[in-house]
Amino acid sequence: MKALPLTLAAVAVVLLVRLGLRRRSRGRSLRLRGLTRGLRDRRILGDAGLVAGREIRERLRGRLFRVVTLILFAVVAAAVVIPTIHTGTTTREKVGVVSGPPALDAELQKLATAVGLHVQLVREPDLNAARAALSAGHLNMVVDGSGSILVENPVSDTDTSTGARYVQAVASDLGAQQAFARAGLTAEQAAAVARAKPWPVESVHSGKGATTTEETTALLGIILIFIILNQYLTWTLMGVMEEKASRVVEVLLATVRPVQLLAGKVAGIGAIALLQAVSLVAFALVLAKVVGSSLVHGAAPLVLAATLVWLVLGYAFYSWLYAAAGSLAERQDQVQSLALPLSAPLIFGYIVSLIGVSSGHASLLVKVLAYLPPTAPFAMPTLVGFGEATWWQFLLSVAMSVVCTVLVALVAARIYRTAVLRTGRKVRLRELVPALGK
Amino acid sequence: MAGLLELDGLTRRFGTVTALNDLSFSVPSGQVVGFLGPNGAGKTTTMRAVFGLTDLDAGSVRWNGVTVGATQRRRFGYMPEERGLYPNMLVAEEIEYLGRLHGMDTRSAAAATKKWLERLDVADRSTSKVETLSHGNQQRVQLVAALVHDPELLVLDEPLSGLDPTGIDAMGEVLVEQARAGRCVLFSSHQLDLVEDLCESVAIIDRGRLVARGTVDELATSGARRLGVRVEGDRQGAWAQGIPGVTVSEVDGGEVRLVLDDSTDSDVVLEAARAAGRVTEFVFGRRRLSEVFREAVGR
Repeated sequence: MKALPLTLAAVAVVLLVRLGLRRRSRGRSLRLRGLTRGLRDRRILGDAGLVAGREIRERLRGRLFRVVTLILFAVVAAAVVIPTIHTGTTTREKVGVVSGPPALDAELQKLATAVGLHVQLVREPDLNAARAALSAGHLNMVVDGSGSILVENPVSDTDTSTGARYVQAVASDLGAQQAFARAGLTAEQAAAVARAKPWPVESVHSGKGATTTEETTALLGIILIFIILNQYLTWTLMGVMEEKASRVVEVLLATVRPVQLLAGKVAGIGAIALLQAVSLVAFALVLAKVVGSSLVHGAAPLVLAATLVWLVLGYAFYSWLYAAAGSLAERQDQVQSLALPLSAPLIFGYIVSLIGVSSGHASLLVKVLAYLPPTAPFAMPTLVGFGEATWWQFLLSVAMSVVCTVLVALVAARIYRTAVLRTGRKVRLRELVPALGK
Repeated sequence: MAGLLELDGLTRRFGTVTALNDLSFSVPSGQVVGFLGPNGAGKTTTMRAVFGLTDLDAGSVRWNGVTVGATQRRRFGYMPEERGLYPNMLVAEEIEYLGRLHGMDTRSAAAATKKWLERLDVADRSTSKVETLSHGNQQRVQLVAALVHDPELLVLDEPLSGLDPTGIDAMGEVLVEQARAGRCVLFSSHQLDLVEDLCESVAIIDRGRLVARGTVDELATSGARRLGVRVEGDRQGAWAQGIPGVTVSEVDGGEVRLVLDDSTDSDVVLEAARAAGRVTEFVFGRRRLSEVFREAVGR
């Protein structure tokens, strides 16, 4: 169930991106010009570098990009901080104590430390005074040494807040102490009983099950991949379509080769996607360190690294397809019908992986999808999150994705070259078959 | 900066339609060459072929004797029929970007952009988005995009369409100026009067084939004799119908333009005109470009 709000947030961001695509950027920034000037001046990548530089500059200027980025940062901040609020150690409560030996105070402090609560003990002269203080809001709870506990509102068994857990711990511990005393146990015997630990429970897959932290990290990772792929692949599709619709592509192709134009666009938009993802991950790690989140412990950073790797691979694989699809269309309504079949495997991989992470178990389907390039960007980070991918399995999946991406890029470049100058109506793939064979 | 563009045997088929049919002609430097033809004659396909934007089934495009490739195209300037600019980019940035794609460094591109925007009176819109400009100004910016890298060859597809007289004058001046500076200038247009004013020579194609080529003077003075005749009371030239060896070429404002066969005596025409009414004009003349065009395409 914890996946639900995050999934909804992901869907909301994706919808925002799609709805806002027609909006044009208005802001202008000299700083952004500076970011890409180096790339343009040095012509590191030749004409493709110039094209990529323009893409980066124009996209970063867009208001839509800024809004979506802010939302993503807010979602990440919430995902990191909110879990720590429930387990936080900064809560401080006032506990009234009526009668009871001094040892009771020490026991109450010990229990508070155990649940991560700071308490201030206040000695009350009698139960009536303590009840009045509780009702007035001066105290959070009252412990009567004669054998009762007072709280302002009933405490539910399912309430996992720190305060509720403290009330439950105090009630349970003091009740046990009283029972030990009535049973005539010595202090040593009572202490031995109190230290009793449950027997360990081992699973068949001992050591392979994902910890809560890794599950959460994998969940955040695939949601991040889904949002960013959706956003930037749509940009790629729309960008190619708009160049065709505005006929600027004819001016560009009079001096730049089609593959350079296509590669520049894909690389430019991909660079922004990676920049945004790295920024979000870095932000999440720094924030986690500051608030004491478990995100920075154990295998979680490894899962984050796998997320970034598969974000790049996923974008590389799909971007060529989306760019080729964009070259077939020159109107918004044509784009929708082209995007749907392309996004189907992407959504399928995302949902299957999301279900896998939420269930705490990597199904056989997830294990298979982890080796198929269209779905691997979601399924493989999921396996990494469960600790069920060895290094060679990971590299095998990466290699398969890279090989398929090269093949897809070759076909996409031919489709693009043939289709992007055919204007006036939507180009059907079967019309391109003769040209693709050349 | 002498150069020569040669189109040699260009052939392009789209399914059963032959857009270019063994088309050959050349464009020398120092001239504004008009490229004429009816709609669908193959002008745009020819221009696209120069820039490798359409595959050829046969033939080649050469620049100074060398088959045109990416290196040569960097030195060409192109203005397509359907104007193409990023609508939401700033004018100056877009021109600089296109200059950079043609191999200019940042500083040179910026300087050339400034110079040409001023030359074509759109410098005050350099920080505006292209989409906010009027049609005429967008057309000027499009021409700047073709000129910014100081090209050796300018290929312009219908550069004057939709412009007001001021815009036509400004663009025409630039085209002539470029030709005088030694560039090759090839442009297509259906505005034949303008072509006649601007061009030293023309190439006329029809159904993908070259049907006429030469200087405007050569084409105007070649062919059959021409007469311009005005007869009071007959502004439509009905009197000229049926005279053997005489064809009515045009009727323009009461003037009937006639084409005479070699064997036809002009006195016969004069007698027929006088029989119809008082003759106020009887002048031997040159062919207009519009007449050259109609006769060349046979329509």
